[in-house]
Amino acid sequence: MIVGKQKPFDEIWDMVKGFKKVLVYGCNTCVAICHAGGSKEAELLASMLRMRAKQEGLDLLIDSAGIERHCEPEFFEPLDEKVKTYDLILSTACGVGVNFLADRLAGAIPVYPGINTSFYGAVPEAGFFVELCGGCGNCILHLTGGICPIVRCSKSLMNGPCGGTDKGKCEVSSETDCAWFLIVERMKKLGTLEKLFEVQPPRDWSTATHGGPRRISLEHIRAYEAEEEKKATLTGEGK
Amino acid sequence: MFAARRIEYVKTLLKKVGIDPARLEMYNLSAAMGPRWAEMCDEFVDRIRNLGPSPIWLASRKQSEKGVTEQ
Repeated sequence: MIVGKQKPFDEIWDMVKGFKKVLVYGCNTCVAICHAGGSKEAELLASMLRMRAKQEGLDLLIDSAGIERHCEPEFFEPLDEKVKTYDLILSTACGVGVNFLADRLAGAIPVYPGINTSFYGAVPEAGFFVELCGGCGNCILHLTGGICPIVRCSKSLMNGPCGGTDKGKCEVSSETDCAWFLIVERMKKLGTLEKLFEVQPPRDWSTATHGGPRRISLEHIRAYEAEEEKKATLTGEGK
Repeated sequence: MFAARRIEYVKTLLKKVGIDPARLEMYNLSAAMGPRWAEMCDEFVDRIRNLGPSPIWLASRKQSEKGVTEQ
């Protein structure tokens, strides 16, 4: 899931205070799990902003709302008309949601971020989130015992640990496990340690963000959708 | 206790919006502790009186006075 953290309140206030009618817009998927931007957090943030506005004597209308996802168009539809009545949308969705809604509104209303989108992670225990995937577009977890050296090694090393490994910990922080220590231990258990003797060539980072914005197109689904839309248009059932 | 931790969290939020966290308190007691409950209420009322009116109330009053003057 995508993990994020609410921006500092003063930073949010500086973004919002110049507007008259603001909607704090939550997303109830990933960012709700990390208690940063779901409907509940959006409501709480709206309430805090109202308190600040009151104290500063500003005439500011601040509402909140939430939908299940900010990354698929159909989830926005029920609130489309309501959203258009505001002069700022403070989105507490991840950066994907902010971009997607801003594109959807096409410059009619500004969309500002209420959270800092941090990483792709898991929830090993309630209230604790760890980064486990860098979304690099070229997965090598089959070679490293299911442990990603791209994000779990502080230096993203591809061929074993650096000199900073210390009793299983990373030199960057004693709280951080050395990913390569974990990889070696895991591969010993899996009986596949010999795979590590194969030297990995310099990595092609063009599949990561270094190659520009990435897209995945499933042609069979797009062709099917186009056909369905064509049929609906012919029968007069189109949108 | 989860509720107690949540109260501590809400106190941090109140501080961020300029409200003294001392305006919020959580007390533990059983339904059979009537006299203690009365004491707690008195203590809390004293505390709030010492803190004075809430900044939100003051701002509201200022706004309504301004409205009256403008009319």
